[in-house]
Amino acid sequence: MARVYNWQLGREMSYWYPERRPKRQFAAVFDTNKCIACQTCTLACKTTWTSGKGQEYMLWNNVETKPYGFYPLGWDLNLLEKLGAQDWDGGQYAGRTIFEAAQPGERVLGWRPEDIDYASPNVGEDDCAGGVEKGAHFTGVHNSWFFYLARMCNHCTYPACLSSCPRSAIYKRPEDGIVLIDQGSCRGYQECVKACPYKKTFFNAMTGTSEKCIACFPKIESGMQPQCFVNCIGKIRFAGWISRPESARADNPIDFLVHVKKVALPLFPQFGLEPNVYYIPPMNVPREFLAQMFGPGVDQALEAYRNAPRDKDLAGLLTLFGSTEAIVAKWKRVEEQVIGYDESGKEIIRVPLREPTHIRQAFDAARGVARTNVS
Amino acid sequence: MKELSRREFLEWVGAAGFSAFALSASEAWSLQAIENPLASYPKRDWEKVYRDLWKSDSTFTFLCAPNDTHNCILNAFVRDGVVTRIGPTMKYGEATDLYGSKVSHRWDPRVCQKGLALTRRFYGDRRVRYPMVRKGFKAWVEKGFPREKDGRPPKEYFNRGRDEWLRVTHEQAADMVAAALVNIATTYSGENGQKLLMQQGYEEEIVQATKGAGTQVLKFRGGMPLLGLTRIFGMYRLANSMALLDHKLRGVSPDEALGGRGWDNYSWHTDLPPGHPMVTGQQTVEFDLHAVEQARMVIVWGMNWVTTKMPDTHWLTEARLKGTKVVVIACEYSSTSIKADDAIVVRPGTTPALALGLCNVIMREKLYDADYVRRFTDLPLLVRADNLKLLRAEEVFGDKPAALKNQTKIIGKGDKVPPPGAQTDMLIPEGLREAWGDFVWWNRKTSRPEAISRDQVGKFSPLGDPLLEGAVEVTLKDGKKIACRPIFDVILEYAKHFDPKTTEEITWAPAPAIESLAREIAKVPGTTLFAVGMGPNQFFNNDNKDRTQFLLAALTGNIGKLAGNIGSYAGNYRVAMFNGVPQYINENPFDIELDGAKPARPRQYWRPESAHYYNHEDHPLKMGKTMITGKTHMPTPTKSLWFANANSILGNVKWHYNTVVNVLPKIEMVAVQEWWWSTSCEWADVVLAVDSWAELKHPDMCCSVTNPFLTVFPRTPLERPFETRGDIECLALVGKKLAQRTGDRRFADLWKFVDEGKVEVYLQRILDFSSTTKGYKFSDLEEKAKKGIPALMMTRTNPKAVGYEQVYDSRPWYTKTGRLEFYREEDEFIDAGENLPVHREPIDSTFYEPNVIVAPPHPFIKAKGPEAYGVKKDDLSNEVRQGRNVVKTWEETKKTVHPLAKDGYKFVFHTPKYRHGAHTMPIDTDMVAMLFGPFGDIYRRDKRQPFVAEGYVDIHPDDAKSLGIEDGDYVWIDSDPEDRPFRGWKKNEKDYKFARLLCRARYYPGTPRGITRMWFNMYGATPGSVEGQQSREDGLAKNPRSGYQAMFRSGSHQSATRGWLKPTWMTDSLVRKDLFGHTINKGFLPDVHCPTGAPREAIVKITKAEPGGLNAKGLWRPAALGLRPKYERKGMKEYLAGKFVGGAAPQKGGKK
Repeated sequence: MARVYNWQLGREMSYWYPERRPKRQFAAVFDTNKCIACQTCTLACKTTWTSGKGQEYMLWNNVETKPYGFYPLGWDLNLLEKLGAQDWDGGQYAGRTIFEAAQPGERVLGWRPEDIDYASPNVGEDDCAGGVEKGAHFTGVHNSWFFYLARMCNHCTYPACLSSCPRSAIYKRPEDGIVLIDQGSCRGYQECVKACPYKKTFFNAMTGTSEKCIACFPKIESGMQPQCFVNCIGKIRFAGWISRPESARADNPIDFLVHVKKVALPLFPQFGLEPNVYYIPPMNVPREFLAQMFGPGVDQALEAYRNAPRDKDLAGLLTLFGSTEAIVAKWKRVEEQVIGYDESGKEIIRVPLREPTHIRQAFDAARGVARTNVS
Repeated sequence: MKELSRREFLEWVGAAGFSAFALSASEAWSLQAIENPLASYPKRDWEKVYRDLWKSDSTFTFLCAPNDTHNCILNAFVRDGVVTRIGPTMKYGEATDLYGSKVSHRWDPRVCQKGLALTRRFYGDRRVRYPMVRKGFKAWVEKGFPREKDGRPPKEYFNRGRDEWLRVTHEQAADMVAAALVNIATTYSGENGQKLLMQQGYEEEIVQATKGAGTQVLKFRGGMPLLGLTRIFGMYRLANSMALLDHKLRGVSPDEALGGRGWDNYSWHTDLPPGHPMVTGQQTVEFDLHAVEQARMVIVWGMNWVTTKMPDTHWLTEARLKGTKVVVIACEYSSTSIKADDAIVVRPGTTPALALGLCNVIMREKLYDADYVRRFTDLPLLVRADNLKLLRAEEVFGDKPAALKNQTKIIGKGDKVPPPGAQTDMLIPEGLREAWGDFVWWNRKTSRPEAISRDQVGKFSPLGDPLLEGAVEVTLKDGKKIACRPIFDVILEYAKHFDPKTTEEITWAPAPAIESLAREIAKVPGTTLFAVGMGPNQFFNNDNKDRTQFLLAALTGNIGKLAGNIGSYAGNYRVAMFNGVPQYINENPFDIELDGAKPARPRQYWRPESAHYYNHEDHPLKMGKTMITGKTHMPTPTKSLWFANANSILGNVKWHYNTVVNVLPKIEMVAVQEWWWSTSCEWADVVLAVDSWAELKHPDMCCSVTNPFLTVFPRTPLERPFETRGDIECLALVGKKLAQRTGDRRFADLWKFVDEGKVEVYLQRILDFSSTTKGYKFSDLEEKAKKGIPALMMTRTNPKAVGYEQVYDSRPWYTKTGRLEFYREEDEFIDAGENLPVHREPIDSTFYEPNVIVAPPHPFIKAKGPEAYGVKKDDLSNEVRQGRNVVKTWEETKKTVHPLAKDGYKFVFHTPKYRHGAHTMPIDTDMVAMLFGPFGDIYRRDKRQPFVAEGYVDIHPDDAKSLGIEDGDYVWIDSDPEDRPFRGWKKNEKDYKFARLLCRARYYPGTPRGITRMWFNMYGATPGSVEGQQSREDGLAKNPRSGYQAMFRSGSHQSATRGWLKPTWMTDSLVRKDLFGHTINKGFLPDVHCPTGAPREAIVKITKAEPGGLNAKGLWRPAALGLRPKYERKGMKEYLAGKFVGGAAPQKGGKK
């Protein structure tokens, strides 16, 4: 065990390998307020990567309804129960991570799902906590609530899968931080399946190996966002590169949202993996649940999000989500327009904060035709 | 790979997928010491397998356009000739119009999971691979169409749904269809034909409606024809050519010849909001969905926007992000409610009452936009208290009706009317204009009545200080004194009944929410967009809903503005956006233009008809002996049915099991064009195998009612993997066969440009003659589409906003008064008790007496009750119920109960649409199905499951508990035993076996007590699917003869529904604009003034069938594990309460 620094916990923690960060780290922001659970991301991933035999049940990317949705069944609850209630001390985590809570002889505190736990992949769809009896009126934080949680591999800074692999067949690519399972080296021990708290490694009984999300690295390598991002019609996703908090740059979209505005938060940071998918929490959900899931930053994140009507930078950047297939390395807002640039500084996308309105002449004299809405 | 055959490759795609690569990669494995895999990894060559998997040989674009209004041009990625992956083009942001206007890339991506799953559908096992004919039908044709004495074909040939299927060629299939059309038309032609129909038991009125033309019993339907202007709309072109057949069979002249009958679409789907034309004269008012970011407030009302308008939901969430207030009104806590600043849960089917409750607050507190009311509405006009008709200026002043000059022309007999796309003024037939006259308002300044013509609207409105509240006595020209009241006053008196407390009792919406919402809407006039969904529209009181919602919108100045408007969202329907379509569908078959450079000379020989009469057991509505269905609406008997692009007309038809058991046997040919073996195919005689969107060899075109794009279906380079033809080729082939059989080559000439591969001739004619597209060249549009780029429709505004011309150009509405009309003076409406916009209780989905008009005693409500028709007052049978005009106060109504309540039918059962299907498309694709609801299991561990997912009912946990039903159990659902699942089920065990609904129950806490829901989209059981489930080892509900796959063990959501006919949908007097162009007429018009059916209504009984646990033992596993509502284990309860972390106290500035 080594001591590593996890900025999401505001402290050092134990990890199997010493801290080594990639040259740059793939990261993403998901706006849950825009997610519609359409599963286009899920299908984009599935039709691209997991349509083979042995992969039928596999959803490298999935969307589930919280709180009653789980893929696989009970994935987060089971681990929370094992770990027990833990405390934050302000911004610093005072509890134990899953590395620190591991049983003697184990590297990670985990559990292995049964095959049947992957049945009902959309269990809980649209089921709400609280419930309705008759008529109702909800405002602000709703008394009845649910929200959609889109999930992919978090390409963690301290992956539990990687640390648990007895054959060291899981690695983090130094050029982009993407975590991969070497399909040649894996022998299907499924330690990673047990270790990953997000349950985003999957055993393939046909090949005898475990598989996982590859962040569509063939696309990333040519400057494009992964499939589940480009196909996201809720436009909730933005892929890019995250810096450590101390070297954050406001013109880097991910840094701006995570470090500057602090509007996007990691998923179950208390597990200790420093996951790299950041979520803008949903506005309709009670904060206790959100704090359990996204950590103590939820209040600040929601405050920033609710202020977006008065914060053109934030509203503008969120409007850029989903408007280009390319990875936006830098961005800026110029009055009512938001512009995205690639690494070399070349403009790749420009969108208005509000879509233009066209009012055409009632009669087009040149073509001799009336242009009406009622026709 | 190249040496593999296509078939082998298909297998390779399915079977090997990624795993083949992984196995080969493992050969290179050798163990090495790895120090820190966070830092480096020695051998990374294997990564290549994923790079290889990502590659494709080529790409092409195609248009995916089911009836969801989105119309996405998609990129197909091809490997070895097979489409292996699909994605968005990301090029919508490059769309422009003829004037250089541009949109942004915020429109991208346009795609969804259903489109991505098409790879598995193009090559799926239910793909219609070649034309198929039912064995018995083939025998009937080949034996020369033998018939019984009364003309009926012998039953032995018509074992539909259970018969064998035979593969035939396209030539053979087309010839059989042509032969059957000729034979059926011949059989029912002339006096003898009508006699046979009478012998078969059809009502005289509908037999008379054929006028002796056998072609009039041939029904054609190109489903949602806006989605394929040539290949789908072509069905009506073909119906028009049936006039050639009538000409031959009866020997009548072309002037007298009648074509076939063409069925409606928008109204058939219950997508038409029938009250829109009652208020505006225009089919529907709506706005493009991206308009929401301009509004101060958006009210999403009975619309599950998040699940049904998926690619356009970001406009809503982004508008909210930037400060637009989002209010969601729904009969549950829906997936759209979660995106709301205000979410209101109501009782289903009570929308008119809620709208009236809101209006009451606004009228009572005088919060209305008085200027808008004066300029654009009929509310200041006077109504006579004696006969309930609008007071006419002529009655008071004796003047002839004013000459109309405001963008209006009167057309006399014999006047030439320009084609629709060239019309600019409104065109009103002389007779109508004279009958309407002018109207009267009361000037408070002068205390005198004043005349007003329909010209005087908007900026031309002379109304300064009109009387709105109170009564006056008006002296007529003849000296008679008549008591009159302004419409505003008459409605105000009625609306007072809907005070907040009463409205809460009726609708369940909390009274404070009603009051605050009303005030919020009225706060800034013209800044609220009402997006109304198909939920409330599928109730019987849907026209009441529209009229009351319009009232609310008009009172607050929210009709016809970019940021303030009303919209009804269901289906992609407005064919009038291409008002040059008559160039194609109505090209005169006796005078065909064969020069592609010249326009056609349209003449309509086909007659439109509402398919709801076929659905209503092939008869119109009578009350006692009185015919309620208007003459202009009168159907004919249905003896042949041929449709394309539509599973909804048969497979997923409302009251499906009654239709297939009781209606279908009277129809002599059912022909279906399909590329996926749907429920409709199961019940057909001939299935014509057609191209999927990815294989189209003839381009086509469409546009949308919710976005501004003009989209083309480009020709694709993909080789047809199966023996399919384009839809339009199937029509052309039948045309050719008809030419051979009749010797009239015009049947074939009509499709000349299909044979020549130049359908762009037809498309260009449509473009040239449509006011919204004139100037575009089809070849340019297709080239752009091949690159993934659409164009923009040349409507007046983008976003489109119907009503814009009325508000900003002061152009009269298409009504008698030129104003938004809230009062309907026609006899049909007065008799129905609906001259005012009233609330009726739902016709079946209510806990109270169905279809009661809730009203206080009101001098202007003089409904014609059942006794007046010779019907008993307490007769609540389903047929009578439809024409029942019984008025009760709310105090009286709330003491009544639904007649079936005593028998345990106490749950409202509604069937909305959901994210996993556009109708039934493509929910039976494994990858999509496994995510549809909680019962997906790709490995089907429970062999009772009909498929990898299955239908389920959502029920409140406490309701389920009260019935002894556990979460996940199988249950029986029964609706009114009088006629569902089909009339006569008690004596027909054979059909009852597949028709009775058996499904899973899910504990669903988001629905109110007493309200249950089943999604609309899943494929229902058929005789074959039930047989398959019982005979197959794997238990799949798959027809062993056809491969049809059901998602129910038996029955479907349509086991509980039926079609209903409402008298106010079937008048001969309603004034409305014609479908294309600006001519105003009255009475029946398909998709405009026409029945809509109310298929969302049902009151049901639910009983436990089997336990939900694996193989019928114990609890369904997620419940057993304590992860389900009401079954939460201790940890789950803590999880819900957020108890697994402590100390994460609110940080600075955060609020709870």
